[in-house]
Amino acid sequence: MIAENTQTQMRKGILEYCVLLIISRGEIYASDIIAELKSARLLVVEGTLYPLLTRLKNNGLLSYNWVESTSGPPRKYYLLTEKGKSILGQLDSTWQELAYAINTSKKVADNETNDQINLNK
Amino acid sequence: MKKTLNINIGNSIIHIEEDAYEMLTIYLNEVKQHFAKSADDFEIVTDIENRIAEMFGEMLNNQQKQVINIQDVQSVIAQMGSVKDFESSEEDETEEYIAPPQFSVKKLYRDTDQAMIAGVCSGLAHYLDVESRLVRLIAIATIFLGGSGILAYVVLWIMIPRAVTKAEKMTMRGEEANLRGFANSYLQPLVHHSRGFIAEFLDVLGNFINGTGKVIFKIIAAGIIAFGGIAILSLIVILAALLGIWDSNIYQMFPLSIINQEYITVSVFAAFVVCVIPVLALVLFSIRVAFNSRPMNKSLSFGLLIIWLAGVAVTTFYVVKIGSEFKEGAEFTQVNDVKAFQTYTLNIDRTRFFTKEDSLRYSIDPGNYNGRRILTDLDHNFDAPRNIRLNIEKSENGKVSLSQYYKARGKTFEVALKNAQNIHYDFLQHDSLLTFSPMLQFAKTGNWRGQEVDLTLKVPVGTKLNISKDFSRYLDGYGYWDCNHDSNSEFTAWKMTDAGIKCEHEETENNGE
Repeated sequence: MIAENTQTQMRKGILEYCVLLIISRGEIYASDIIAELKSARLLVVEGTLYPLLTRLKNNGLLSYNWVESTSGPPRKYYLLTEKGKSILGQLDSTWQELAYAINTSKKVADNETNDQINLNK
Repeated sequence: MKKTLNINIGNSIIHIEEDAYEMLTIYLNEVKQHFAKSADDFEIVTDIENRIAEMFGEMLNNQQKQVINIQDVQSVIAQMGSVKDFESSEEDETEEYIAPPQFSVKKLYRDTDQAMIAGVCSGLAHYLDVESRLVRLIAIATIFLGGSGILAYVVLWIMIPRAVTKAEKMTMRGEEANLRGFANSYLQPLVHHSRGFIAEFLDVLGNFINGTGKVIFKIIAAGIIAFGGIAILSLIVILAALLGIWDSNIYQMFPLSIINQEYITVSVFAAFVVCVIPVLALVLFSIRVAFNSRPMNKSLSFGLLIIWLAGVAVTTFYVVKIGSEFKEGAEFTQVNDVKAFQTYTLNIDRTRFFTKEDSLRYSIDPGNYNGRRILTDLDHNFDAPRNIRLNIEKSENGKVSLSQYYKARGKTFEVALKNAQNIHYDFLQHDSLLTFSPMLQFAKTGNWRGQEVDLTLKVPVGTKLNISKDFSRYLDGYGYWDCNHDSNSEFTAWKMTDAGIKCEHEETENNGE
């Protein structure tokens, strides 16, 4: 349960970051975001994305354009706002820090285990 | 064939099958409920609806079809994710989020799935959350309150809508109309008619005969089984009795005394078969109806039919054979002179005339039954149909006489005459007291062949007769009861006149005029 909770929190933060990253590459439709996330093995169901996009849009990170579609209703194509771009930059640096923290932690852990192995020898 | 609906979802018109529509409606309601706590619920739901519309459009396009069916809806839901999936990805929020009580609004519908008539009672039972049996019991009770229950039933029938869709059925039961409930009830076939009240009434009538009627049929069948079982048992007991297991003298009783001794076993058995097999068949059929069991083994039923036909054939054979012994009739007359008295007392001797068989039957020492009297019960004399007739006529020659006409039937005249001669009838004169036997007897053991005795007592005009109540039973057309002024008295007084016998009381009245 604790593991699950932590996993969910980690995934949730990273999902937001990934969505912003995907959108930063250019105007994109929600279902294409999902396709990308799926190939990145991050998202299971589409329904989760819409609330997230709406929240990001309401926070001013995203905006969208209506684009006519050949199949079905007009589509919302999302793009990053200036605010979104700056926040993405912040998130990038945060990610660097986190990656460093994790890598360092892992290295220390690895060294320790290596030390223990050496001691045993 | 399925009914389809047109829906407007995400500003596109989609043809959708009804069950698929129901499933989609339930899904979207769940989604709406889920996002209701969010400030942007409308936008989120619109996005989801738009996406669903798009997916439908793609499906119709890719599969070259016109209508969205339930599988399509299921795959859309799988792709979009159920509310549960949304929850698991927002777990941090749900910690603070207090789920609204999962109360679901119950609505009053008629439950035609569990209907006895039109589902009013079972619908009410769902609504009130009580047993439908209780509601039905109360409903039946109100019928006895001046029939108000019937009127109320019809009014409710017309007023309360029928639970047609699965969602309606779920709201009727107070189940949450969610996808899980839907999946449960999806297994049940969806029957949907949208029809008028009259058409539904006829429908219900049919179902009533089919459903409640079946119950009534079953009750009737159970009754038939019970009575048939009793009938079969009685027939077996009767068969045993007729075959002389308890009383070998039973053949001297009237209906059996018709049958010749040498035929009795076969004919009784054949008659038993003729009677018992239809009863047995009826019972078996009722068992089949009552318990919905498989039809009877064909060879068994065929065998029963053969046995029955054989029984009918044998019975018919004996009926014809015995019937032929009634073909010819014979009679002979015997006239006895009776000593002349001015007044006669006519009575019936109730004392049993002991035959040799009787004394054996009742274990009475033949040498020791002097003075013992056994009274026969005239009302319960089953030995033969009424076979003694008494007449009182005017004597032309002034002499008193008793003519006895012995009659019987037989295959030929000779046999008939022999049968008539076999009749033994007792008549006693003790001074002015004439005593008649209540029954005729056979000198030798014989079969009943319509033996009768007509007794004609001839007395001269002016002779007075005291007739006993018992004796009057054997008199035809003398108005004994008209003459009887004192119902307690055993005897009534009569007098022979030129016009036949007259009640003496009446006679004196006439003279007095």
